[in-house]
Amino acid sequence: MKGNSLAIGLVVLAVVFLVLAGLYYEGVLQIFVSDSHAAHHTTHAVLFGVLAIASLIGANFARSKKAV
Amino acid sequence: MSLAQALFMGLLQGATELFPVSSLGHAVLIPSLLHWSFKQSDPSFVPFLVLLHLGTAGALLVVYRTQWVDIIKGFVTAAVRGRIERPSERLAMLLLVGTIPAGILGVFLEHELKSLFASPKAAAILLIVNGFLMLGFEAMRRRAEARVAPAASTRIEQEESFAAAEQISFKAAALVGACQALALLPGISRSGVTIGGGLLAGLRHQEAARFSFLLATPIIAAAGVLEIPQLLSSNVPIVEYLAAAVLAGGAAYLSARFLLRYFRSGRLDPYGWYCAAAGAISLALLTFRP
Repeated sequence: MKGNSLAIGLVVLAVVFLVLAGLYYEGVLQIFVSDSHAAHHTTHAVLFGVLAIASLIGANFARSKKAV
Repeated sequence: MSLAQALFMGLLQGATELFPVSSLGHAVLIPSLLHWSFKQSDPSFVPFLVLLHLGTAGALLVVYRTQWVDIIKGFVTAAVRGRIERPSERLAMLLLVGTIPAGILGVFLEHELKSLFASPKAAAILLIVNGFLMLGFEAMRRRAEARVAPAASTRIEQEESFAAAEQISFKAAALVGACQALALLPGISRSGVTIGGGLLAGLRHQEAARFSFLLATPIIAAAGVLEIPQLLSSNVPIVEYLAAAVLAGGAAYLSARFLLRYFRSGRLDPYGWYCAAAGAISLALLTFRP
């Protein structure tokens, strides 16, 4: 049960990170950026994309642990 | 920047990126001490640094080409399976865990830290701090050696009592990775703090260096690749910059080869003393010389 809840939590987190990646890429989010006039914040978008992938991997690990 | 200056900066960047002596600190201090007119903060300098970093990342990829193939295969396999079964899979996940804190801190703090500490005097002071950090890491390591391997008669035997990179905990990997963010401060060495962090986590010197270099590659390469559009759109002397990048790559390759051999039995102390002395001399020159 604990592994399952953790897996669901990490999937939700991955979705949040993906949304943040999209918002930074589109220039909608201008928080913690060095140039607030830039059209795209590619570095921030890539970071949140990587965090989303890491969260999905974590979710897969948590799910597999529960299965064992 | 003249061709000679560009080549010198390439050589300096490539050599000092992997030695635990702070490439950024040297890149801030040396042009200032030599009274070179170009400024690191100039936007036209960014494409140059991008190419130098790509040269260094390329050299690291060449040094660890077979390991990277195993790491990438291990990463995909473990991620899909949801379970770690082989050392290369564990190393891949350790590198992911180590890269995340450095990535977060780097992306959000880089601009603030660089603008706060970009002066040559701050770099000189932080180079002294870096020196004492290296000496501190080794002092703590000597205590661990006395506890773990009291009967060892040679350095090689002492080192064999410690772990390989694949064996450290995920928490330790995250901490070593977070240490990388300290290198945003000019004067603090990225490889120095990550090798030191690896030593504290119980790694052999050579393994701490290997983990540090593997950990550096994705961050250095990603930082370079992300700046390529700016490089292509800027009007820079690309041939001169490419020549400097090739020189940086060559110097980084030789540095990595040397350091991996050196750390079979060598320690961080000489680099610690060098940083403390170089920082103190630079600070004196910057303060008392007009």
